[in-house]
Amino acid sequence: MSNERKKILLVGDNPFHGISHLSQEQARVRGSAMTYPEYAADLVMTSLENGADGFMFSVSGMTLSMLRIIQEKGEVKGLRLYGMVPYVFEYVRLAAQIGTPELIKKFAKQITFSGNVRAIATGLKGVVRTDPMALLKTYLIYEISRIKSSAGKEANLESVLLNEVIADTALALNLDWLFRSYVDFMLDLGIKPGFNTRNFAYLVNKFREWDIGFSDVVIVAPFNRVGFQMNPSKTECEKALASLVETNIIAISILAAGYLKPLEAIKYIASLPNIKGVAVGVSRGQHARETFRLLKDRL
Amino acid sequence: MVNLRRERLKVAVIGLGKMGILHAGILNVLPDVQLTALCDKSSMLLKFSKKVFTGVRIVNDVEKLHGLDLDVVYLTTPIFSHSIVAKNIYLREIARNLFVEKTLASSYDEAKELCELAQSSGGINMVGYMKRFAVTFKKAKDLLTRGTLGEVISFDAYAYSSDFLGSKKSSSVSRGGALRDLGCHAVDLALWFFGDLQVDSVKPLSERDSEDSVYFRVKKSNGLEGEFSVSRCMENYRLPEVGLLIRGSKGVMRVNDDKVDLKLDDGKSFTWYRHDLDDNVFFWLGAPEYFREDEYFVKSVLGGRDVEPGFYTASRVDYIIDQVRYRAG
Repeated sequence: MSNERKKILLVGDNPFHGISHLSQEQARVRGSAMTYPEYAADLVMTSLENGADGFMFSVSGMTLSMLRIIQEKGEVKGLRLYGMVPYVFEYVRLAAQIGTPELIKKFAKQITFSGNVRAIATGLKGVVRTDPMALLKTYLIYEISRIKSSAGKEANLESVLLNEVIADTALALNLDWLFRSYVDFMLDLGIKPGFNTRNFAYLVNKFREWDIGFSDVVIVAPFNRVGFQMNPSKTECEKALASLVETNIIAISILAAGYLKPLEAIKYIASLPNIKGVAVGVSRGQHARETFRLLKDRL
Repeated sequence: MVNLRRERLKVAVIGLGKMGILHAGILNVLPDVQLTALCDKSSMLLKFSKKVFTGVRIVNDVEKLHGLDLDVVYLTTPIFSHSIVAKNIYLREIARNLFVEKTLASSYDEAKELCELAQSSGGINMVGYMKRFAVTFKKAKDLLTRGTLGEVISFDAYAYSSDFLGSKKSSSVSRGGALRDLGCHAVDLALWFFGDLQVDSVKPLSERDSEDSVYFRVKKSNGLEGEFSVSRCMENYRLPEVGLLIRGSKGVMRVNDDKVDLKLDDGKSFTWYRHDLDDNVFFWLGAPEYFREDEYFVKSVLGGRDVEPGFYTASRVDYIIDQVRYRAG
């Protein structure tokens, strides 16, 4: 590898939500310790001490608590934050329990009681004019304010990304206006718009068709030696990656959810062009130290 | 069955909840499909849908789909409405080919009626038991078909989630309780793997509410015995999980959404994760199995081929659920 630049190394939050894409059984075996904000915040700080540059997280009560702890411990200065919205799991679970209409009411109450005047005004406009983008903006203003109030002014909110459920659904439904409006809105706020996708090659083709510049956006997608979650195929995703210039591609699932050994995983990522950074989840202190030292040395 | 002459199927989706949007998305990327219409009763949802979806007819009543020359309808409304909406589709001749999200109906009687209507329509019909399209369960089915486990002696099936753990509200009526909402996948897989089963005994797992948890045993005429444990209040099941432990004369197999473990009596053992089983698809939405399911259905309609699980096969799940409910009192 040339040493002209280093890749951005981010701590991923899957283990903190009890997620394992290898198997849910593995997540259960790992236990619940890392789902406690104090423990998880310690893991992030250990990772930062060992080479990590920032934190990529779904915006939830858990991760916001972690940010508050990291801020209180004075470790937030310069921390590069990549927030992903919405935390779909929580909304789906609530919708199952109370139904979608009740969920919408509950969410509207949350925004109203947050006292965020801009969010409330934009939301009202969205409802009155049945303007879906205004509602999305309301939601984004609300989530960004939650991140900033938890992380404090010294943290660096580099990107707010649309979760893959939203991004891939919009992609499938050919909602180019949503992507464009989202990009424009976030750039106006001075935050890089991002998209998490499990359809990287498809998204690259669509963005070209819609003339959305790759240098303006962050794209988060799985890249790993075994092609896990690289749709439609590892080869197509590699081709799409190689065809880009000036990109902000963050690779996730580089260990294929624990299926690969770190060294072989890193070797593959190092061989790819146009990867700007990686996000990797860690579940123990020793794991955090070893992983990020290795990433720092090899990438 | 007849082969359709047109190259792209005109498809409508009824019900714009989570599953309706998911299927609409997948259908929209399939080259053989023209997403033609969307239908939902909610006026708010319709107002927003008209702004979001361009080039697609948005209607608030199933009857307004009449005359759109539809080839296929996807029905993804709440389960209790499946029977009445599906009957309307057939009787009004809105489309001959129908995909219904699981479960087919909210009772076996309703399911039987839909089977008869589907038969007389001459179209192709399918129910969304998408676990059959997950690579792990396909692998397990393949191993069973090859006789790798020898004669199957017994099985334990489970379907767990933490969705209602700690929830004050015990169940969402529209979802039909734990067995119909979640356990139906385990029942369908068992029927797929082992053939027809009869309910032997039933007991609720939860004192609080049998809608959230249930345990029952089944038998087959050849002596095979099985048990099902279903709960939406299990700890540490962040995502719903369905799985089976299958005991055969040559070994034991465990299979769930994530992996297949095979241990043979001769000492050999194997594990296959999704990673090992070619899990990628043309477009990933929700899970790869949804894409495979929709692609298979669309191609079958275009080719005039019957599909599985069709209405008749799926009605057996409704039969088992009815039996469990009856025996549970």
